[in-house]
Amino acid sequence: MTHPLRDKAAVSGIGETAYTRGTSKSALALQLEASLAAIADAGLSPRDIDGVVPYFPGGGIAEDFIANLGLPDLTLSAFVPMGGATCVAALQMAAMAVATGVCKNVLIAVGRTGYSGARVSTRLQQFPQFALAAEFEAPIGMFAPAQLYAQGARRHMELYGTTPRHFAEVAVTMRRHAILNGNVVMNKPLSVEEHHASRMISDPFRLFDCSLESDGGAAVIVSAADTARSLKQPLVTIMGVAEGHPESPASIAQRPDLLEFGLVKAAARAFPMAGVGPKDMDVAEIYDCFTFTVLRQLEILGFCKTGEGGPFVMDGRIGLGGELPINTHGGLLSQGHVVGLNHVIELVRQLRGAAGKAQIEDAEMGLVTGYGDMGDGSLAIMRRAA
Amino acid sequence: MSTTTAPPAPERPLPTPTRESRPYWDGLREHRLMLQHCAACGKVRHYPRPVCPHCFSMESAFKEAPLGGKVHAWTVCHHPFDFFFKQATPYIVALVDMDAGVRINAPLRNVAEGDLEIGRRLRLAFEPVGKDITLPYFVADQGG
Repeated sequence: MTHPLRDKAAVSGIGETAYTRGTSKSALALQLEASLAAIADAGLSPRDIDGVVPYFPGGGIAEDFIANLGLPDLTLSAFVPMGGATCVAALQMAAMAVATGVCKNVLIAVGRTGYSGARVSTRLQQFPQFALAAEFEAPIGMFAPAQLYAQGARRHMELYGTTPRHFAEVAVTMRRHAILNGNVVMNKPLSVEEHHASRMISDPFRLFDCSLESDGGAAVIVSAADTARSLKQPLVTIMGVAEGHPESPASIAQRPDLLEFGLVKAAARAFPMAGVGPKDMDVAEIYDCFTFTVLRQLEILGFCKTGEGGPFVMDGRIGLGGELPINTHGGLLSQGHVVGLNHVIELVRQLRGAAGKAQIEDAEMGLVTGYGDMGDGSLAIMRRAA
Repeated sequence: MSTTTAPPAPERPLPTPTRESRPYWDGLREHRLMLQHCAACGKVRHYPRPVCPHCFSMESAFKEAPLGGKVHAWTVCHHPFDFFFKQATPYIVALVDMDAGVRINAPLRNVAEGDLEIGRRLRLAFEPVGKDITLPYFVADQGG
């Protein structure tokens, strides 16, 4: 039986600010700037927005959107507090809202001053979901995701023979894609040698294995597919979408398998909902907080077997023209860090045929993942509809 | 200009024990590893929490556990992320499958990274860092 949400919602508008290091704007201002761009892209007025799902913490809350955009009658306001898995999981919430008629047009928006504002080391103390890490891990010198995820990466290397060369291939490919994009923080070529020579952050992660701390805003509008069909842009529908939470969600250390996280469950729901499989994807936007997490997500998504993520990314397979182009915008590793909403935007752009120099010929179907908060996962599969 | 005062030395981030975790921290202070066991089904759990996720009992007791375990994974921290740890870099943090059935993450001392492998035996040790707080670290297990 067809899932009741399949193809019922569409991403009708996308918007971004410039991605930079250094801004005088607040996270809220960046978030609203991107929101206005997404609303205009859809051919809507701010008055048409009746649902908001802002990224939290950071940026604004529903009241800020009402006050700034003059929203006349907000029927849904919600947070999806899943760290880097937030934005794709928010698509599920928005899809449910528009498919049931609770909302007509839901705005999902991120504003972030990850470079100009609070940096990663201080953020751990601010999130309630990181209370256990703050109590048990920060005092022994484990603060940052780079450190906490490094242990999983080390284990993968020890168990399966994954190497820094595999990590480098992800970093170098993302950079190559970023340079085609234009609106990016990192716009100079990166070589494998430069990756290997970059300073060690938390072994096995070097500097170029880690996503950027950057400033920027991004936003998308989700509308009912029937509504979106009459709007300004080509119709891009959400075929399948899901979120998943791992065992021991607040502590990687206590998870029975460090390498088993929420995307396992999300993938088991989103693919059947979409009625398609990994082989059907023309493009994949994979949450790249670290190079290693891309390898592991490819395994979980079924593009290869567990342990084979390293060899899978080699030989140009994840570059433009390859078997599975990944992060055609440059990702969090090279474009900018807006907790993955830029991945959603890039997938929509590819499926509209509007990705410029990075456009994949005849891209009809693709997926986007979210990954964060110590292992939460989310997955959306989208297609260009007739 | 030499009139500026030196910034205060960075303070070590310390845990704030909760009603659930207090017995664990009290145990470390007494140089004992105290782990939470469900009073109904007997299963051990860590980090401390109010309810047993296996049988949902809210009754539990902390019991002393053996200090040995095997390496599950590790990282070598080069970038400190907190200035307190700058002087200590690079330092190894080992994630250890304790013989008691839980996993503990703590710094590793006097073992070279090149000597590490999954399954290598380590033993928990105790470092008092204040009147109330003692933190764990790992050393080589002399028994193996």
